[in-house]
Amino acid sequence: MALLKLIQIEFFKLRRRKFVWMMLFSALIMPFLSYLLFKYAWSTGGDPVQFYKWSAFGLTLFIVLPVVLGILSTMLMYNENQYDMLKQIWIVPVSKMRYFFSKFFVVLIYSICFMIVTALGSVIFSILLGGLALDWQNTLFLIRKCLEIGVITAFAMLPILAISTTQKGYILPVAITLIYAFLGSIIVSINMYIHPLSSMALIVARNGDIPGLNDTQVISIPLAFFSIFVWGIGSVLLANVALARRK
Amino acid sequence: MRTLLWAEHQKIRRLSFVWIAIFATVMVAVIVFLSGLTDNDGIRDIDTAGWYMAVAQPLGTFFVLPAVIALLGSYMICREEQEHTIESLRLIPVNEAKLTLAKMIITLIYSILFYLLLFAITLLTEAGLHFSDLSIGMVMNFLKAYILDGLCIFLAISPIIALVSYMKKGYWIALVITEFYSFIGLFASTSNTLKALYPITAVFTISGYYEASASQVILSCISLLFCVGFSAVILASMKKYK
Repeated sequence: MALLKLIQIEFFKLRRRKFVWMMLFSALIMPFLSYLLFKYAWSTGGDPVQFYKWSAFGLTLFIVLPVVLGILSTMLMYNENQYDMLKQIWIVPVSKMRYFFSKFFVVLIYSICFMIVTALGSVIFSILLGGLALDWQNTLFLIRKCLEIGVITAFAMLPILAISTTQKGYILPVAITLIYAFLGSIIVSINMYIHPLSSMALIVARNGDIPGLNDTQVISIPLAFFSIFVWGIGSVLLANVALARRK
Repeated sequence: MRTLLWAEHQKIRRLSFVWIAIFATVMVAVIVFLSGLTDNDGIRDIDTAGWYMAVAQPLGTFFVLPAVIALLGSYMICREEQEHTIESLRLIPVNEAKLTLAKMIITLIYSILFYLLLFAITLLTEAGLHFSDLSIGMVMNFLKAYILDGLCIFLAISPIIALVSYMKKGYWIALVITEFYSFIGLFASTSNTLKALYPITAVFTISGYYEASASQVILSCISLLFCVGFSAVILASMKKYK
């Protein structure tokens, strides 16, 4: 119950921040760009899965969502650090791990909302495109995959949330976010199990669901989950140590 | 002006931010190196002379470097206001237009320095891997391209630095805007005209990374000049606003 209360408080704090709402609009960037690409640059045979691959599964998954979540994680931690609110929070007292997980759940819920907006954007732009044969099966596939991405990416971003607990400023966590997202997209072709984001991509694209993603590698889903799990545990421990030091 | 530049340099020397930016640049180099290790039928990309130096420019630019440079610039301008040092500066009195110009010049210099750092890392790696395949002409060409990248990227992002300084709503919005601004460059590069017009990709037309016709280069120059003009207008109106 205490955790629920904390999550509720986190949302109350966020409600006043316009920036968080503005970031949600970036979910529409990729659907819009792929709409432009499909309309003017390429003449594809009207395959909805190809369109969705561009609008929701490609760069959204590797760059846009991780960067947005990284910035959100940093924002969540930065405010209380900057205004020295942590002292008062510890006096209440709030358990340090509950505090960390309340932030994490905000990231998780935001990530799911972000992917739902992406899914809706993709459906709307694919309708505008006209030539795509839309049916329930494809739309459900899109929504299912988007939800999967939303949930797993939040877990894959745990290291960034942990790093932002260790810092008073925001510049280092944000610079690390950029590098982290960039590394995730590059490392896919080398080894998918090292980086949580590429492991996440592997889980989402299992069974060859998404054309062009990891067709060549032998896929081990448990290993990918294990990688995210190990990084997650490491991050929680790091956050625990960092928060315990913040007196 | 010289005193202002000196003072800005002294201020920035104490910032851990510069180290973070260097860290970001080094990481870009490392990540691009890793991507070069992929095996394509027995040949790795990194084994081709010049591949590393060529590919590090666009990848670094589309994903990381402009955002970091924009953050540095807007941070330098906004911090005077946020840390209430601007009042003391006004008392001296310091000409604010000149102060902002000095900060912009320092950002430009750092922008070129970050690209030169990336160049140095890629060159040393290339030399370590296959020294005999490198020619002086090729290295000089890349050096020219990297310096132009640094210079032009600053011009391309200068409106964002100016806009963020004008809005005064926290400088790290500059980072978010620039990140998406440079990211969209990936798409702009798919069309020939758009490639020359979009400021981020125009940088590569000018630096010689893209093979471009004379008209495309002129288009790119116009596009960057437009950026500079736009930022000058914003900075000038900021002065009146006060």
